[in-house]
Amino acid sequence: MTFWANHRNTLIAIAAVLIAAPFVASRPVWLDSAVILGVYALLALSVGISYGQAGILTMSQGAFASVGAYAAALCSARWGWPPFTDLVLAMLLPAVLAYGVGRVVTRLSPLATALATLALGSVISIYIRHADDLTGGYVGFAGIPAIGFIDTPLEYAVLAWLLVIAVVYGYENLMRSAHGRALNVLQQDQARARADGIDVARSMSAAFALSAAIAGIAGWLYAHYVSVLSPESLDTNISVTALLMAVVGGAGYVLGPIIGTVLFDTLTRLLPAAELQGLFYGLALVVILLVARTGLMGLGEQLIGAARSGLGRRAAPAAGLPARAAS
Amino acid sequence: MTGPAFDTPVPPAAADALVASGIEVAFGGIKALAGVGATVVPGRIVGLIGRNGSGKSTLFNCMTGFVRPGAGRVTLGGADITGLPAERVVRAGIARTFQTPRIAEGADVRTAVLCGFFNSAKTSFMGSVAGFGAARREERRLREEADAVLEGLGLADLRHTEVRRLSMGLVRMVDVARCIASGARFILLDEPAAGLTQAEQETLSRQIRDVAARGVGILLVEHNFALVRSLCETVVVLETGRVLCEGAPETVARDPRVLRSYLGAVGESDEQGEAAA
Ligand SMILES: Nc1ncnc2c1ncn2[C@@H]1O[C@H](COP(=O)(O)OP(=O)(O)OP(=O)(O)O)[C@@H](O)[C@H]1O
Ligand SMILES: [Mg+2]
Repeated sequence: MTFWANHRNTLIAIAAVLIAAPFVASRPVWLDSAVILGVYALLALSVGISYGQAGILTMSQGAFASVGAYAAALCSARWGWPPFTDLVLAMLLPAVLAYGVGRVVTRLSPLATALATLALGSVISIYIRHADDLTGGYVGFAGIPAIGFIDTPLEYAVLAWLLVIAVVYGYENLMRSAHGRALNVLQQDQARARADGIDVARSMSAAFALSAAIAGIAGWLYAHYVSVLSPESLDTNISVTALLMAVVGGAGYVLGPIIGTVLFDTLTRLLPAAELQGLFYGLALVVILLVARTGLMGLGEQLIGAARSGLGRRAAPAAGLPARAAS
Repeated sequence: MTGPAFDTPVPPAAADALVASGIEVAFGGIKALAGVGATVVPGRIVGLIGRNGSGKSTLFNCMTGFVRPGAGRVTLGGADITGLPAERVVRAGIARTFQTPRIAEGADVRTAVLCGFFNSAKTSFMGSVAGFGAARREERRLREEADAVLEGLGLADLRHTEVRRLSMGLVRMVDVARCIASGARFILLDEPAAGLTQAEQETLSRQIRDVAARGVGILLVEHNFALVRSLCETVVVLETGRVLCEGAPETVARDPRVLRSYLGAVGESDEQGEAAA
């Protein structure tokens, strides 16, 4: 009962995954797509936390994912770590990086912070290209082992979407805590946040670190699933795509990024030619910025609100001041 | 040789007081404050009055880390907190309300008050994400405490109302609740009673007295002198960035300078306040 009230989004995500599962499982091609979709959903969720909650317009999620992916490749393929132990490093490394950078750049204006994340992404990818001994340079890695017993696309799809659900659960926990409320406040009014005792730079950096850790999970999963990795695998394009997915779905809503991911994936599949993709992305962004700045989720909420007040106007007195006298 | 007034040692009784002394603030050549001091002792309510633009809010800003004074010191229990960032001032135990309340879009009354508890939440950021038992218990405790604060201010029924739907007076009251929620040892209230109905003002006064009785020191900016008189033992009167005089409300009310500078101007509303009381 209270779980339903507190974890509505988690339950909706579980229900959606269960409904989609039989259809997806019936076709091997769809199973493969489901894994990649899961990777994108994790990346889009990471944008949701960073941009939607902490107000950091991040352009470095692809780079964080590649840090996670290279951690996975190194630990499992080169150093022979047992399965899943590399996940810890794949999350920790991007998180530490993001927290450190966050402490410095979150003091800047939002635009400067966004540019700083873009620069951070570039630095990471340049490093990966040039650290031949560690990352294999331009060639990268091949033969990254599977995650222990998880081997078939079906098993990967299950793992991917379990991770998505786990992230939604944690995200929802965060937003129902003092730290989540702090993010809400500081995004709207930093002076108000400071009067509550919130260290703005610290809270924003913590959210950025969490978002980087989630991107790290996405990279970890990707590396093990695809089993090859090069500097081009998870580049700035991925960062921009994830950002678009989150914004189109509604970055401020827990499930917005996932909705954006599924929608984008479906629409790009329907596109006749891959060359149109860039055009489509640009178009999607313009439409969202013009019509619904809070994304599809926000648009939906507005429509429901309008419908409700339209219906309720006759039944109840106008919702001006709440009925204080009556209470 | 005797130094300026603010160099005199703090009396022993006020060893754990919040003291501002010799505060000077200039905004582009205009002196908003020119050597102002105020002392707030735990459990006492100090009034801060003065005409519009006399520097009351600026003094608040200096005492809470929002404005760094050009000169002067703010100390808390003897420790220098001048120029400390606002969030660390709050953590040191000084909370404030804003004269123009700052409301978060879409938040309901209880959520707004819950935000005030940020400092007393022990769970770490990652602990909140994991959502283990301790985090859930803490969240439940905060909700209960928030409800208790709202109960005290007569706002319990408005828990689930969006803050922006309230009257300005009630929004201020929610701000007071948020301030109390912080658990601060000192609370600075900037015109909390403006726009409240008589009944709401009485609830607010009662609550301010209760909070003070729990040992919290309160600095109160208020234009309604009847309210100030009923609540405060000491009143500081500001005029154009200086302390005009300081003392018990009765003494201050009889001071000819105060009458000329301030009370004369608000005499009417004062009489109304007294007539209603
Ligand atoms: N940020 C600012 N920039 C420039 N001048 C300011 C600023 N804040 C305050 N002032 C000036 O400092 C003086 C004191 O202002 P302050 O707001 O402290 O007065 P107040 O006593 O709180 O007045 P009120 O009763 O209207 O709230 C005024 O002359 C005001 O114009
Ligand atoms: Mg003022």
